[in-house]
Amino acid sequence: MKGIWWKAIGVALVLYSIIQGLLGPVPALDVLNETIRVLYFHVPMWFSMILMLLLSLIYSIKTLRGNLKWDIYAEQFARTAFLLALLGLTTGMVWARFTWGAFWTNDPKLQGTAVTILTYLAYFILRNSVEDPHKRSRLAGVYNIFAFVMMIVFIGILPRITDSLHPGMGGNPGFNEYDLDDNMRRVFYPAVVGWMLMGLWISSLSIRIQKLKYAQEN
Amino acid sequence: MKSISKIVVLNFKLEWSERRSYFSLLIYVLSTVYLSNLVFKEQLSVQSWNAFFWVIFLFAAVQAAYRSFSYEADQRFLLYYGWLKPEHLILGKIAYNFIYLWILALCTTAVFGFFAGFPIEDPWAFITILSLSALGFSAILTLVAGISAKAGNNPALPAILSIPLLYPQILTLSHLSERSLTGFDWEINARLILVIALLALVSLLLAFLLFPYLWRD
Repeated sequence: MKGIWWKAIGVALVLYSIIQGLLGPVPALDVLNETIRVLYFHVPMWFSMILMLLLSLIYSIKTLRGNLKWDIYAEQFARTAFLLALLGLTTGMVWARFTWGAFWTNDPKLQGTAVTILTYLAYFILRNSVEDPHKRSRLAGVYNIFAFVMMIVFIGILPRITDSLHPGMGGNPGFNEYDLDDNMRRVFYPAVVGWMLMGLWISSLSIRIQKLKYAQEN
Repeated sequence: MKSISKIVVLNFKLEWSERRSYFSLLIYVLSTVYLSNLVFKEQLSVQSWNAFFWVIFLFAAVQAAYRSFSYEADQRFLLYYGWLKPEHLILGKIAYNFIYLWILALCTTAVFGFFAGFPIEDPWAFITILSLSALGFSAILTLVAGISAKAGNNPALPAILSIPLLYPQILTLSHLSERSLTGFDWEINARLILVIALLALVSLLLAFLLFPYLWRD
């Protein structure tokens, strides 16, 4: 049961954020109303996704530096990130339906999400179309680094240049500063840590499975 | 510098010996332009002119750059490139593709303009935008062509891999080119031009840094 403590903390924090997030007090704001609670789920999922993609990037660089075994890490972190991206997208879409009136709009933030998802789908397809593990690790590593940089450009820089309806952008009511009161912070920050730990846990499990598979094949 | 220009010249010679690749690309542009003309019966508005143009050019560019490394899959050329540094090889290929895509962009404009009219208010701004797009596209498409050449025969791969990476550029480029169609103000748009130039530069730098890892076998 080595390392169980951080998993337990992760579960506890996520459970706390679910219970307190649904029952706790939130400021009554126009338009947002109770949908503000999605902040406890949607945003921590994205943060966790970014962390997973960052780890995937780091392990891709390590792979290119010469050690093939890190490739498993790079792939599995990307997979977890992809799962979190889908979850974040779903929660975001539900929120958008009740505030913007539609599941999907052509907002720069949403375009960025769509592009990120397409990019990482391409990454998985690239991985699947190469048989040789050495070659695969190098090709995937190169593509992953490129994809990460473009993703940062797309979700981090472009929305700031063009106008966006997304909270926290272009003068729209953000979840930061004046909206996020102390009650919400007490739920939001634990949720962020909790979801990051969840991501790490899922990744570590799938990394172990892939390592076993790899050992079995060789 | 010398070996880079050698690669560029060599690529033109090789491609010219198989001229049909140039002509097939031209026909590709022609048929897609004519298709858009057919499905869009009435006069195109400036916005749809712009949208059609970029979609057609994007796919033509992907097609054009796809062949970048098809010769290198041949063992003979692997040997030939044995004495070249991979850094020089990628820069040479990008330079070749830059010229190729630049000419292709002008051809697409000409062909598309012939059928759909030229609503371009500021031609110099439009040509500047095309040049920047050729630069950024050539960097990304050359690297992706290298990846897909190494990954083997999956004909869908170049498009799948490159189009998501090209979105940031396409989005800013089409935004900017729409302005060049309706009257362009250099001072207002300086920031966006800078963004595109930076994007192209980042792509170039990444391709330059990452290609050696790809090339090593």
